[in-house]
Amino acid sequence: MRNIKLHAMVLVLVIIAEFIGPFKTQVGVGTIVLLPMLYALILGILLTPKFAKIANEKDMEDAGSLIGVTLMLLMAKYGTTIGPSIPVIIKSSPALILQELGNIGTVLLGVPIAVLFGLKRESIGAAHSIAREPNVALIGERFGLDSPEGEGVLGVYIIGTVFGTIFIGILASVLAAYTPFHPYALAMASGVGSASMMTASVGSLSEMFPQMATELQAFGASSNLLSGLDGIYMSIWIALPLAEWLYKKVYRMKYGADPIRENNIEEDRK
Amino acid sequence: MKLKDSLIILLITAFMTLVGNLVGPKISPIEALPGILILVAVSFIGIALAKVVPIKIPSVAYIVTLATIMTIPGFPFSAQISELTGKVDFLALTTPILAYAGIYTGKNLDGLKKTGWKIAIVALFVMLGTYIGSALIAQVILKIIKVI
Repeated sequence: MRNIKLHAMVLVLVIIAEFIGPFKTQVGVGTIVLLPMLYALILGILLTPKFAKIANEKDMEDAGSLIGVTLMLLMAKYGTTIGPSIPVIIKSSPALILQELGNIGTVLLGVPIAVLFGLKRESIGAAHSIAREPNVALIGERFGLDSPEGEGVLGVYIIGTVFGTIFIGILASVLAAYTPFHPYALAMASGVGSASMMTASVGSLSEMFPQMATELQAFGASSNLLSGLDGIYMSIWIALPLAEWLYKKVYRMKYGADPIRENNIEEDRK
Repeated sequence: MKLKDSLIILLITAFMTLVGNLVGPKISPIEALPGILILVAVSFIGIALAKVVPIKIPSVAYIVTLATIMTIPGFPFSAQISELTGKVDFLALTTPILAYAGIYTGKNLDGLKKTGWKIAIVALFVMLGTYIGSALIAQVILKIIKVI
């Protein structure tokens, strides 16, 4: 809590990151934006024992326990962008609510790729959702985290934690620059159930379309709140059954046989 | 975490944000101070409410709801609150948070080795799938209801 060294490191990171400022680069017809928050994230990782060894175990642990509280300020700021945008949010609510169904895109794209790479039951844990905390809890409860499904969900969880913010931030910027997607639609898609991923995506978009910044932030925040509310039910009732079903289909296509569940009782009897 | 500790962390983050605001978007700390204090107050009230109210509602819900209601057009002082909090740059607010997150992420690097490259590639497609799936649906519905 009173880890002055940690706060001093963060202050230096903030100053460096803000000093560099947003980096915009013209690639072909579109602009890609890299934001100070991404530099702060990467520089933060570079301070840890694997690299510069400036931050130690205790610093990393303290930082982890602080993130929850620091995020609250951002959430308050999001609230102040939702208020003035309430009229446009109400007008757009059908889109906001229905876009949640887009999360099954995860299953449709993720499961076949996972099976193609030779993953077995790991595919279901890995590709049933974007694997944030509630989904890790769900898979843990249903299959156990030491199961293949558990290994899958934890793998995606960790990759998402380390690279998700960077990946989604750049993805938003690339899609806005090169596809006909409207910034509003991309802002709504940003609410994947992770505040930092949503912020990276909305941040890139508001840097590219400053005149729409308030609406973009409001759409992202509302969509993320919705994901928090209904995301887990989406996973239980729609995404997980769909992942099971698709897994069997793709498995049969690739291996020409039905998947055999390890530890299957019937299998043991043979 | 004790309420007092939460308040201290909120104030530290607020200070970092003011510095970031000054270095990056060049907004003077004096100009941004009232806005950031409003955000600190709202956050603190939300954290306190979550502790006091017996029904388990996460503090994030209180904070977002409170901040939203305060800025809905027509609410007393909503225009002033919007104006003041508008001085706090949204991106400058994210920089300190992600700096803490970066340092914390160092802890997860060991886990990466275990998961292997296959899961890493699957993870990228998982994120891609969620994002594009949602964007497609949002785009179509927004077109149908003529918002865009």
